[in-house]
Amino acid sequence: MTSRRTEELFGFWGAVFELFRIALRAILSSKMRSFLTVLGIIIGVLAVVAVVSILQGVFASFLSQFESLGGDTLFVRPNYEMFKSHQEGVRRLKMTYEDALAIARDVSQVKEICPFLMRTDTIAYHGRNDSTQIIGTTESYPQINSFFPEQGRFLAPMDVAARRKVCIIGQDILDKLAMPLQSLGEEIQIGRGTYTVMGILEKKGGSFGQSEDDQIFIPLPTAIVQYGQDAANSIFIEVQVRDAQKMDDAVERISAVLRREHGLKFGDVDDFRVFTRDEILKIIKQFTSVSTLIVGAIVSITLIVGGIGIMNIMLVSVTERTREIGIRMAVGAKRIHILYQFLIESVTLSTLGGVVGLGCGTGVAHLTVFILRKTVSETFPAAFIPYWVVLLSLSFAALTGAIFGVYPAVKASRLDPIDALRYE
Amino acid sequence: MTTVDSEILIQATDLVKDYPMGEGSYRALNGVDLTVRRGEFIAIMGPSGSGKSTLLHILGCLDTPSSGRYLLAGTPVHSLAPDELAGLRNREIGFIFQMFFLLPRSSAVENVELPLVYAKLPPSTRHHMALDALRFLNLETHAKHRPNQLSGGQRQQIAIARALVNKPSLILADEPTGNLDSVTSGNIMGLLKKLNEMGNTLILVTHEQDIAAYARRQVRIRDGKIVSDEVIRS
Repeated sequence: MTSRRTEELFGFWGAVFELFRIALRAILSSKMRSFLTVLGIIIGVLAVVAVVSILQGVFASFLSQFESLGGDTLFVRPNYEMFKSHQEGVRRLKMTYEDALAIARDVSQVKEICPFLMRTDTIAYHGRNDSTQIIGTTESYPQINSFFPEQGRFLAPMDVAARRKVCIIGQDILDKLAMPLQSLGEEIQIGRGTYTVMGILEKKGGSFGQSEDDQIFIPLPTAIVQYGQDAANSIFIEVQVRDAQKMDDAVERISAVLRREHGLKFGDVDDFRVFTRDEILKIIKQFTSVSTLIVGAIVSITLIVGGIGIMNIMLVSVTERTREIGIRMAVGAKRIHILYQFLIESVTLSTLGGVVGLGCGTGVAHLTVFILRKTVSETFPAAFIPYWVVLLSLSFAALTGAIFGVYPAVKASRLDPIDALRYE
Repeated sequence: MTTVDSEILIQATDLVKDYPMGEGSYRALNGVDLTVRRGEFIAIMGPSGSGKSTLLHILGCLDTPSSGRYLLAGTPVHSLAPDELAGLRNREIGFIFQMFFLLPRSSAVENVELPLVYAKLPPSTRHHMALDALRFLNLETHAKHRPNQLSGGQRQQIAIARALVNKPSLILADEPTGNLDSVTSGNIMGLLKKLNEMGNTLILVTHEQDIAAYARRQVRIRDGKIVSDEVIRS
């Protein structure tokens, strides 16, 4: 009737497709039950996808923030970890503009140095009020952070030296204060001071917690005058070294200078910490992999629970469909056909569960970010679903279906055709 | 129309079937010899518990005898493994059951296609063959209907189409009219008779004399043994 060739063409994949069709029909014929069966898988995949995509979004934003720093950059801040609480560290530790100047003077490896302090303050322009992050820094900031003005200029050495009340604003500030596009020379109110806009920065995009476009830069000495001694004592310092290969030398020299400036004795713990870009990236990546591991552990547990649910229902299904198995065997189905039929059904079921979980998880992640943006921070980074999460969650769901489907499928395939046909 | 010279399809010799039961065993078949030639229409009759169903299961390759030899179209069925039996059922045998045994979620044509699925025929070929079988029984208008949308008689006809579709050497019917009213029973038996007249070999199991009367040879079985085997004149 049929040639060997068409049989071969139909072959393995044709048979798989056939079984897939049978499986889909069985699954769709009792939708509610199928749904309840894979609920475990759905919830497992949903939870994982939601958590991972939110975390990935945060990490991606962290990484992009630090990757814009060059490999020749290091970062110095007070060693808050010395104290039990961060607040105590802020109160008792000192890192000053003078420290930065001492490093610039005494460490030959320094190419650029950029001290800065950060404050949140109110801003106003023509009756519009808002608040933003104020960064007091020096003319070196754009070079180290690759962040340049689009209009006008950045802070100039004279602005810093003369403690001028000038500012450089990010793109978002224009919107926040409803300022005209041509705002150079306009005066805005920052806290108690009035500042002249000297430059508008290029758009940089969101970053964790705080958009880099939602910032105002003012000269560091001006900021110290405006924000007082506390601010003056919590300066952070970014340093660009001449030779990225000699990073360790630079770190050593900077540490020596700061220990001298802070009057630390031999044996005292450093009251500051020096981070190189690679170290920061390493810390973030460590954190990423630890949290991925934890998530992975949760996944395996939920998928085992989900898999048991599938096995349970597949066993019921085999019993309920004993008659069907008998009929199929009577007309010529071999054991392997029955085995594959039920195996493919459980894999299809769990993979569909994985797909639904993936969809819901994506939805939950975006919803969570949406809520966090409304409540916690407007610039909370967008959820990000890497392709490996999609692949991994679907293949784990399928694998769960395969593993927990084997026993019911084997049980079905071992049925005796006569007993199966007689089964009431 | 006697079949003395036609080819032997079934040669069963001294078939014995024991079922384990408690400590000992129960002998359902106790030395059955049966020879069936191609083109015969046989009714196997007997009261319940006589062993007629066991015999039908063995003849239908659903089961193997505990001892004895069974050759179907030259194949020694008694020594086959389960999967080889499945292949043999698929190629050589069509079943018609009392309870129809159609897949409830599949349409009529899909039910008829079922043996061809396991014969690994491509879908389009299968579909055409199944439609041909339905057309032969004047059922093509019901091709897309599910079993629960059909009457008992129609369901049994679908089952008959399924039994025919793989062009088997042997059609086995186990109380095919047991769930049907007398008029429908008559129609179904008329259909089986017609199939026989077209050259198909049929073995029918029944306990009803008027159903058995459609066959051309009646084999009576009691306590696992054949007690009579006679050709009916019609």
